[in-house]
Formats: sequence, structure tokens, C-alpha cells
Amino acid sequence: MKKLFVGLLVLTLILAMGAASAQDVVVAEPGQEVNMILLPKFLGIAVFDEANQGAQEAHAELENPGTLEFLGPTAENSVAGQIEIVTTAASRDDIDAIMISNNAGDQLVPAVEAASEAGQAVVTWDSPIPSGAGEALFIAQVDFDETGRVMAEMARSILGEDGGSFAILSASPDAANQNAWIAALLEVLEEPEYENLVLLDTVYGNDQTEESYNQALALVDQYPEMELIMAPTSVGITAAAKAMQDEGLCDTVKVSGLGLPSEMIEFTLNGCAPEFALWSFVDLGYVTYYATYLLATGAMEAEEGVTFEAGRMGEYTIEADPTREEGLRIVMGPFSVYNIDNIEEAVGGAMEEMEATATPGS
Amino acid sequence: MNAIRRYLRPEQIRELSLIVIIILAVLFFATQIENYLSARTFNRISTSIAIIAVVAVGQTLVVLTRNIDLSVGSIVGFAAYFSGQTLAANPDLAPVLAVCVAIGFGAFLGLINGVLVAVGRIPAIVVTLGTLAIYRGILVDWAQARTITTEMMPTWLIDLPRVNVLTMGEVEVRIMVALALVVVILFQLALNYLPLGRRLYAIGSNPDAARLMGLPIQRTILIAYVLCGALAGLAGFMFLARFGTITVTAGAGLELAAVAAVVVGGVNIFGGSGTMFGALLGAIVIGTLEQSLLRMPQVSEFVRDALLGLFILIAVASDAIIVKGLREAWARSGRLKSAKTTLAPATAKEVKRA
Repeated sequence: MKKLFVGLLVLTLILAMGAASAQDVVVAEPGQEVNMILLPKFLGIAVFDEANQGAQEAHAELENPGTLEFLGPTAENSVAGQIEIVTTAASRDDIDAIMISNNAGDQLVPAVEAASEAGQAVVTWDSPIPSGAGEALFIAQVDFDETGRVMAEMARSILGEDGGSFAILSASPDAANQNAWIAALLEVLEEPEYENLVLLDTVYGNDQTEESYNQALALVDQYPEMELIMAPTSVGITAAAKAMQDEGLCDTVKVSGLGLPSEMIEFTLNGCAPEFALWSFVDLGYVTYYATYLLATGAMEAEEGVTFEAGRMGEYTIEADPTREEGLRIVMGPFSVYNIDNIEEAVGGAMEEMEATATPGS
Repeated sequence: MNAIRRYLRPEQIRELSLIVIIILAVLFFATQIENYLSARTFNRISTSIAIIAVVAVGQTLVVLTRNIDLSVGSIVGFAAYFSGQTLAANPDLAPVLAVCVAIGFGAFLGLINGVLVAVGRIPAIVVTLGTLAIYRGILVDWAQARTITTEMMPTWLIDLPRVNVLTMGEVEVRIMVALALVVVILFQLALNYLPLGRRLYAIGSNPDAARLMGLPIQRTILIAYVLCGALAGLAGFMFLARFGTITVTAGAGLELAAVAAVVVGGVNIFGGSGTMFGALLGAIVIGTLEQSLLRMPQVSEFVRDALLGLFILIAVASDAIIVKGLREAWARSGRLKSAKTTLAPATAKEVKRA
């Protein structure tokens, strides 16, 4: 009887704790003043602008009386420009938080460390600080390991059950996210069910249209047996698809990877790029804003196991980042895979969404 | 003999040495790359240099006058974006008009450069380094991160890169390549036979003398910049047709490629000498090296740029040696001939003293 009582007591306690931890979800209190900077890899690219849209949406939703600046370098000055912007921000007293899509690898560490020491909340999104130094939290768009799996699955669905050979056309050799995705893809290819997918080469187009286009054609010339180019970059994937179209190669060499539906629709409909994937950059900017707002207002600490609510996107729990040696992350997800069946709807939907955000309050 | 001598001045046959270098490079790569000596290699290299050749022709006009235009990369990108936007808004626009939009827009940006350099008397490198950043900055603002996509473009434009004007077996001359050749030839003829062309040389080789002669220096430099901008605009249109997807980074870095082609092609960076054929050959040298290195599997990403730089240096150095040899040979043949002339020794001496 006594044992039963103790058992019940323990059970009650566990239930109570469970209830308590459910209540422990950190929820943002609107109306606090936080001045923030959203820093993309560089300005003028659709995906980063979409992230800004999402952040602006959250900014309005949380009624933050502070400012949200969308600051970025130009493409040809990306690395030096990012370091400069973060260094300047770190010395500004009026800035409370910086949200960075890192394109400068660990070269950005001294600048972000200065910012954290100045009491600013430093959150990375899209691409983290590889060593994790100076950064409070990384908002991963998707699980980087999952990116590898999604790419492997797209490769298999395009090449068929018999498999075949393919090559990777990446952005720059020192983009942390791209390298992590390629590493994850290589790991997935080790698995027996993917053994008939052969990776021939990895080349870099440095997110330049012309370089990516030439690299794609060079791959075709070097590897006559190649049937697919996998480009995990929105610049590379369109350049490769156009190159195959111009040379009349779409029947023999397909293109896949990560791309924007609005930029890829023509190539998906004409069969040059039958399938590709991406996540929502609007949502990524939105979630990043929520997490940063909570950190900057002191409502939340960046610690493993902390759960918070990010408005319409729901709850996220901070965890150790398994893709880096140090650093914390949350994973947003999910992937959307686009093909001929859903791309027109996706492009139409995106247009409506843009119109909706263009008229706030509607 | 005299007629041959006049036509075979070292400055004019220096292009020959570039052709020799291109042949040597092709032979070298043929031993390194499988199936290199094929029609496909020709097609790949020719299409890859069409855009840069057009930009290099414009750059040559400016460099001949002892100036430089570093803003051409931004002009190409802006013209590509602007003409793409115009076509997206007016899909029924006649192709000729679309090309004119790009050329006109480029010429306008070139005019701004020209006014600042020729009228404002600000050093060209300062002006165009500034407008390089300014034009790109305005483009970033103008574009509002909207991408010009192939889907927005009329079909004729997207299919343009595939159009051949000449097919011999597997060798294809694409319309863009033909266009670039036409531009090179037209401007070479203009340099040789139009007063404007001769004035460019005069101003570049001796500005003071040109001024004393009463040549309209400012106006000529202004025109050179406008033409350079217009050609960059045309290159922008070609960029749009070739790549279809245009973001604000379009054409970034083209200015250095164009300057490299011009310099490798033997156009004197201090003005006054050089030809359009030279600039074209310079573009071919660089394009051949670049495209060939891309296809050498043993050359990694990280050493390719260094190798490209090294090859360009070798090309320029050997070109200089060949040209020097030619010039000496020419001078020697000149001396031989003057010894054979019937002039009295005294008269020859007097001529020398004068």
C-alpha cells in the first residue's frame, strides 16, 4: 500500500514536472524596444530579401518600437563588407542585436566576439560561424544532414533505380553551409541503397552566373557519362540549367539542387531541372527575428533544452549543433521539394504571399 | 618591298605573335586534355569570349586615349537588368528595339563617365572606380532584390544563344560570336579610316601635340566613353540572352577581364597604340587558357586562378620578346635598305643630324 502511495506520488510529481516544463515555453512579450540589424551574405538577392520580409513581419507583429535595419555588403565585397558591418555595429551603443548569414567563415569571429562582449545578441541564420565562437545561437533552415539526404533522394529519383553518375556545382569553397551539405551528401552516399550513385567531381562557380555556367559546361566535357548536375545554390542551379538548355543537353544531363521556385519554374516545366528543393526564407527570417528578440530582451538564455515559441511557426527547442564541434542551434525546416506537379502552385502562392505582406494588416 | 615594309610594321604584325601563342597553348592543352582538338572546344571557347570581346573593344577605345573605364562590369550588369526589365514589361517589344534599349542605356552611363573625365578633368581611374561602385549600388537599390528570370523573357531571347549563323560540320558559329566579330571588324575599320579613329591615336600618343594641332581632345574622349558605354550595353544585352537569370551581381568582375584582354592584346595602357584585332586576340588568349584549365581534371579549384595568372604573364612576356625581335629585324632591314639607297653619304648624315 505504501509502495503504491509512493508510486502515485512519484507519478504525480512527474506529471506536475511535465506540466511545468510545458509551461516553460518562453513566449515573447510584445512592445519591448530592441534595435536590430539583419545582415545577409550580400544585398540584392531574392532569398535574402525574402528573409528580410519575414523579419519585418515579426517586427510588426511584436510591435517593437525599435528599428530593424537590413544592412549588407555588395556581392563582390561580401567578406570584407560583412566584417566591416559587424565591427561597426559592435561599437554602436544603440544596437541590441545582430542577425547574420555568415559568408566570411571564421574570419568574422573577432567582430562577432566584440559584438557579444558589447552585450549585443548575436544570432546567425542560413550560414553559421563554423567554430561557433561569438555566436549565441544558429537558426538552421533545415537539418544540414537532411539536406544531404534530400539531395541524394532527388538524385535517385532523377537518375532512376539503376543510379548513375553526377557532379556537384557549389558556390564558393569556403561557404560553411554548402560544405556541410556536401559532406552530409557524401555520408548518405556511403549507405548501401545509394551505392549506385557515383559522385564524379565537385566544382565551384562562386555564385557568379558566368563562372557557374562555364563550370557546368566544363563538367559535361570532362565527364561524358555524367547524367546529373547537383547545384546546392540558387545561382548555380539556374546557370547550370540554362547552360544545358543552350547546348541542347537537357535530355542527357539533368540539373537539380537547391533553387527558388520563381527562378526555376521554366526549367522545371521544360524538363531541364525536373526536381529541386528549398525551404522558406520568409519563415527563416521570421523565426530568426523571434529568437533574437527573446535573447535581446533577456526573456530567454541561449542554453540547451530551452524551448520558445516563434509566433505562427510554433515552438522550437535549442539543442547542441551536431554538425559543428561547438555551437547551439534550432532547426526550422521543413524542406519543400518542387517538381512539375507543384511548382506552378508554389510560384503562384509566393506571389500572393508577397502581395499579402505588401499590404500590412490585411 | 617598300610597300610590304609599310604593311608589315612590327606594331601591325604583333598580332601574329599572339596567334603563335594561341596555337602553342592549344597544342599544349591538346596533349593534356582528351578530345581537345574538336569542334566542341572551338564552340565552347568562342561562345565564352563573345561578351568579353565586345566589352574589350569599348575598353580599347578608351585606353587608346590614355584613359581607362573600370565601370564596364557594372554597366554590363545594369544594362542586362534594365533591358531584361523592359522586356518583361513589354514582351512584344521588337528585338531590334530591345537591343537599342540596352545600347542606349549603356551609352547614357558611359556619357556620365565621359563628362566627368573629359569635362570635369577628374582622373579616369578615380571617376570609373567611383562609378563602378555607384552604378552597382544604384542597381542593387533599383532591383529591390527582384531577379529577372528566364520565365519572364520572350522565347526568341532565351533561344538566341542557340542560333547558328554558320555551321561547318560540327563547328558552329553562334550568333553571339558573329555579333562580336562584326563589332571588332567595324571598330577596327573605324580606327583605321575615320578621323575619329585617327584622333584617338593622336591624343593617346601625344596629348600636347594633339592640342597644338587643335584636335578636339575633350570631345573625342567624351565620344570614346559614350561608345565604350554603348558597347558595354550591347554586352549587357548579350549577357541577358546568354544567362537568362539576372541578379544584381550580373557582370561583376568583367571590367578586370576586359582590361586583361586589352593589355594582353598589346593595346598600350599608356595610350596611343593598339588595335581591335589585338584586343580580340587578347580575349581569345585568356578565354582559351581559362576554358582549357577548367577542363584539366588534375588542376584543382585553388591553383587554377594562380595558373591562369602565370599563363597570362608568360603570354605577355613572350609576346614582348617576339615583338622586340620583330622590331629589331625590321630596323635592321631598314638600315640595309638605306645603305643601298643612292643618297650621298653627306646628305644621309645631315638627315640624321636633323
